[in-house]
Amino acid sequence: MKTIAIYNIKGGVGKTASAVNLSFLASLDGANTLLWDLDPQGAASYYFRIKAEIKGGGKNLIDGKVDIDDYVKGTDYENLDLLPADFTYRNMDTFLEQTEDPVNRFSKLLKPFAEEYDYIFLDCPPSISAVSESVFAAADILLVPTIPTTLSLRTYQQIMEFFAQQGIDKTKVMPFFVMVDSRKKMHRLIVQHPPSFMSSLLNSYIPYASEVERMGVHRAPLTVFAARSKAAKSYTTMWDELRLHIHLLQ
Amino acid sequence: MPDNQHSFVIPDDQSIPALVSLLQETFPVQVQAEAVYKRVFYDTFDWRLYKSGCALEVHDDGQSHRIYWRADKDGKLKIQLGLKKMPRFAADLPVYEFRQQLQSVIAVRELLPQIKMRIKRQSLAVLDKDKKIVVRLNLDVYWYSTSRLRAAKVLTRRLTIKAVKGYSDDFRLVEEFFLAMHWQPAMDNVMKLALIASGVNTGEYTTRLNLRLVPDMSDEQAFKIILLRLLEIMQQNTSGSIKGRDTQFMHDYRVAIKKIRVALKQMNNAHPQAVNTEYKHFFSKLGNLTNPVRDLDVFLLQLENYQPDFKKSGWQQLKPMHEYLLSTRKEAQKKFVEELKSSQYREFIEQWHDYLEHSETPGSSSDSSGKEVYKLADKLLWGINQQTLAQGNAITENSDTEALHELRKTFKKLRYLIEFFNSLYPAGNLRVLIQLLIDVQDSLGEFNDRYIQIGMVKAFIEHCPDGDAIKASEQIITILEQQQQAAGKKFRDSFMAYSSSANQNKFKEMFVDYYKRKK
Repeated sequence: MKTIAIYNIKGGVGKTASAVNLSFLASLDGANTLLWDLDPQGAASYYFRIKAEIKGGGKNLIDGKVDIDDYVKGTDYENLDLLPADFTYRNMDTFLEQTEDPVNRFSKLLKPFAEEYDYIFLDCPPSISAVSESVFAAADILLVPTIPTTLSLRTYQQIMEFFAQQGIDKTKVMPFFVMVDSRKKMHRLIVQHPPSFMSSLLNSYIPYASEVERMGVHRAPLTVFAARSKAAKSYTTMWDELRLHIHLLQ
Repeated sequence: MPDNQHSFVIPDDQSIPALVSLLQETFPVQVQAEAVYKRVFYDTFDWRLYKSGCALEVHDDGQSHRIYWRADKDGKLKIQLGLKKMPRFAADLPVYEFRQQLQSVIAVRELLPQIKMRIKRQSLAVLDKDKKIVVRLNLDVYWYSTSRLRAAKVLTRRLTIKAVKGYSDDFRLVEEFFLAMHWQPAMDNVMKLALIASGVNTGEYTTRLNLRLVPDMSDEQAFKIILLRLLEIMQQNTSGSIKGRDTQFMHDYRVAIKKIRVALKQMNNAHPQAVNTEYKHFFSKLGNLTNPVRDLDVFLLQLENYQPDFKKSGWQQLKPMHEYLLSTRKEAQKKFVEELKSSQYREFIEQWHDYLEHSETPGSSSDSSGKEVYKLADKLLWGINQQTLAQGNAITENSDTEALHELRKTFKKLRYLIEFFNSLYPAGNLRVLIQLLIDVQDSLGEFNDRYIQIGMVKAFIEHCPDGDAIKASEQIITILEQQQQAAGKKFRDSFMAYSSSANQNKFKEMFVDYYKRKK
C-alpha cells in the first residue's frame, strides 16, 4: 500500500481536482484505491456523489472507537472507494490532540487498510495544523500542487522550510504545477525554468482548463466526461510518471 | 472468491438479452455500454509462471493496454506495470523489484502469449433512489484460444455480482435473487479454466529425465529408455532452437546431446558397435555446433555485469568487442540452424528414433550386454567416481587448464550417469551428493567459461585496429583472469568437501554397497 497525500497550505490550487483525478486513474489500472476526503468542505465527496457525512461525527473515527472501514463507500467506479468528509472535520485538530500520539494517528488509522488497498489518496485541507502533521507522517508521497506564480512559489518555500524544521523527509515531497496558463508569460517562464528548490518537481503539469471547473457540474473525474481534453490527458501523463516513481520506491 | 462478489455460470438455455430484460424488470438497473476486451496470459514455454503461482497478463480494451503482474496465490494484483510494450524477457525491464521477481522465476526464458481471451461484457448497475450505483453486474462471454488451438472457442458465460462498499444490503438482495435460481457457481480462475478446457498440461515439459528403471532390467532396455527420453527433450527444443530467440531452448537441446554422447560412450556394450560408430560422429558434430553459441550467450549475458567496473567512456569503447561477439554468435547460430534444418539431420533423427523404438534387443556377445542394469550402473558410477578423485587429487596450483578441463568433463559424466540411474537407488543421501557435485561442477564450469571468454577477447584484439577498444578489452581480460583465479580457489574448497571421507562413504554406501547388502 502506498499513501499519497495531496497538500498545500493555500486553498484553490487544485488539490481536490488532483486527488479525484489521480485516484480515479489509479483505480482504472485495476488497483484497489481509497480516497479519504479530509477537507470539511467535502468537495471530493461531492464529486463522487457521496454524502459528506460520518454518522456520529469524525471524533469517533479519530478516537478509533468505531471501525473506520464501516464508513467507506464505493464510488460509481470500480476499485475506487471513498471515506467521506464530515463537517466535524473542522475540529479534527482538537480530536487529534486528544489522542495519545497525534503525529502518528493517521498512520495507525490507515494500517488496517494495507491488505485491502494498493493506494490511499488523502485530500488534505489547506492549513498547517495537527492534521497536516499527521498526514505528513503517514504519507509515502506528498504531492504539492503549485500555481506557477511568485506568491505560490513563496508558499512552496515556506512549506519546505516547515518540513525542514519538523525533520520531515523532504524526499517524499513532489511538487507539480497546476492551472498553467500558457498565455501568461510568467507561467511559461516558471514552468520552463523551475526554481532550483523544486528539485523533485514532476515533469508533467496540469494546464488551466475550464473542464476542471466542469467536474462540479458532471460530478465525475475528467476522464469520464472529457477524456480527450488536454487536462484529462495531462492527469494521465502525470499518473504514468507517478506510477513509475512508485515502482522505483518499491 | 472474494466475499464482495459472486459469480454464476449462465445456463446454456439463458440468452444474454433475456437476462438483461429480467434484471430490468426486477431491479432499478442502468444498462451500460457493451464492451469487448482482451486478456492475454503470458508465460514461458514450460509454464514457469503458472507453476510458481504467478500470472503476467495483458488487458487491452481497445483504448489502453495494461500489464498486470500477480504473484499472490489468491490472485491479488501485485503490480500494474506502466509499460507500453510487453517485455519479451525479464532483462527487457528496467531494474527494479519486479524485474528481480520475474527473473527469479523465468530466468532467461522468453515470455510467450500462451492463452488469449476475448471477453464481451455487458455491464449493468443497480441504482438507489439517488441514482447512485449500489451493485454492479457483469454479463461476460469468454472466448479463448491457445497456441495449439487456432480458432477461438467459448470458454464460459458468467454473471458476476459485485458489491459496492457501504451498500451490502443491496448486494445481498441481488445475490439472493440469483441464489434462488440455483445456477452453478463459476470458477474464479479463468486461466485455469482455459487450461482445463484446452487440455494443456503445464507439467508436460521438463528437462528432468524422470526415468523409472528397474534393477533387473537389461542394460539394453535401460539404454533405450534413457536415449528415448533424451531424444524427446531434443525434439521438444528443436523448433525453439531454430527460432533462436529464447536461448534456453538451445541450452536444453545441447544438454540432451551431451547426455546422449555420455550414454553412447559409457554404455557402449549395451548397443551394437555399428550403432556407436554411426551415431557417435553425428551427435559429436551437433554438440560442437552448439558450443560457440552457448559460450557466446553466456559471455554476452555476463558482460552487462561488468558495466559498473567501467567509466561511461570506457564502456562505450567496448562497443566494437560487443559487436564482434554478437556477429560471431549470429554466424555460429546460423551454422547450427542450417544443420537442424537439413534433410540429413531429419533422416538421422528418424533413423535414430526407429532404432530406439523398434529394433530388436541385440544378442551381442559382449561382457555386459543382456545383464541386469544395476550391475552396469554400480560399475560405472563407482568407476567414474574413482576417476574424479584420482584426477581431482592430482590437481595442484601448477596444473594446467587442460587438467581442470578434463576433470570437469569427468564430473559431468558422473552427474549425467547419476541422472540416468538414480531410480535404481534409494533417494536418501542422493540430494546431498548431487549438491556436492553441483558445487564442484559450478566452480569448474566458471573456471572453464572464463578461460574460453579470455580466448574470445584475445581473438577480437588480434584483429582490432582501434587502440581504445583494445585497451577496454584488455580491462575485461583482467577482470576475467581474476574471476578465473577465484573459481580455481572455489574449486579447491568444493572438491575438498566432495572428496571428504564422510561424503565418499555416503557415495560408497549408496552406489556400491546397496545391492550387495540387499543380496
